[in-house]
Amino acid sequence: MDDNDGVLDDAFDDEEFDHGSLEEELRQAAAILDPVPAELRQIAIEAYALHDLDARIAELTFDSLVDAIPVRGAVDVPRMLTFHSGGLTVDVEVTTHGLMGQLLPPQPASIEVLDGPRAGAALTADDMGRFTSDAPPAGPFALRLRTDGEVVVTEWLRA
Amino acid sequence: MRSEAAPATAYDDMPYTRGGTVDRTEVGALVQSAVDGDTAAWKALVEGLSPLVWSVVRAHRLSEADGHEVYQTVWFRFAQHLGRIREPDKAGSWLASTARNECLKVIKSLRRLTPTDDPQLLDRVSEDRTPEQSVLDSEEAAAQSERVRHLWQEFEALGERCRQLLRVLISSPPPSYQEVSAALGIAVGSIGPMRQRCLRRLRARLDARGAL
Repeated sequence: MDDNDGVLDDAFDDEEFDHGSLEEELRQAAAILDPVPAELRQIAIEAYALHDLDARIAELTFDSLVDAIPVRGAVDVPRMLTFHSGGLTVDVEVTTHGLMGQLLPPQPASIEVLDGPRAGAALTADDMGRFTSDAPPAGPFALRLRTDGEVVVTEWLRA
Repeated sequence: MRSEAAPATAYDDMPYTRGGTVDRTEVGALVQSAVDGDTAAWKALVEGLSPLVWSVVRAHRLSEADGHEVYQTVWFRFAQHLGRIREPDKAGSWLASTARNECLKVIKSLRRLTPTDDPQLLDRVSEDRTPEQSVLDSEEAAAQSERVRHLWQEFEALGERCRQLLRVLISSPPPSYQEVSAALGIAVGSIGPMRQRCLRRLRARLDARGAL
């Protein structure tokens, strides 16, 4: 919030008006005119199925959208993501053409591309730990990886 | 949508926030029950905290499609991290700050695609009409619906900072200042004075219009 409403410069002027009732009226207006869409609330309720205490979470440690300096004039740059979980690193590149990834240390894995609480598309990482998909994830996605020893799920994020 | 009479979901954790008799341990307990497999507890969390998450999305003026994706991402990640959240009683702040981060990422990616940084691009608001709006439409003559509409118009016309702050403050049930702080990245201590000033400004606009 960096535009200049000059909100903070009159601390001496903040006697309590009857602002509570105006705020309450506005709260009711929001409930009527800008409520949580019912279908979204339903999706959030169904998201409970994603809670899985057995899988390890691979945390997002690099996101080119946040951590990289944009290249001037470059359009359609791939989104580079890195996830870490214990000794496992997952590098993912998302473009408009699809998704490519690499497990480190290199190892085979079966991978599920999740886009919500239901089962997702299946991929396989080869012996070198590489995997690809022709379908770019649209919207929220996560990868569930089954390696030899464990199940790891990448943190949910929006592609 | 929660009615006012519904029991307040407790997540006010600052003594000077509004919320009256809310039970401050309730959110933490609901999170713990959800971890233990209680579907109803999860549902209660969604019911109680969805309006806060939605308000953060709306405060950042995302397009409808982007806003829906952010909202879903936030809840998916919350479900995923359930049982690993360090301070379960601050789940509201966790959700608000996750929503904020995802909103900022969307805005950043749009800027990257559009070098003009045209704020209008971030200013697309859904034209879809909710059933509640349709009710209002059908009761055009009702003074109450006029009032609500005028109030909302003046709110939307406020400066960006005020519109953003108030949009989060008016989520239902009222958020704690900690949650507002997490939602907007502003210091807890500055929320009260800003709130006063923004409501004063809104009151002045309404008075000028003679609407309320």
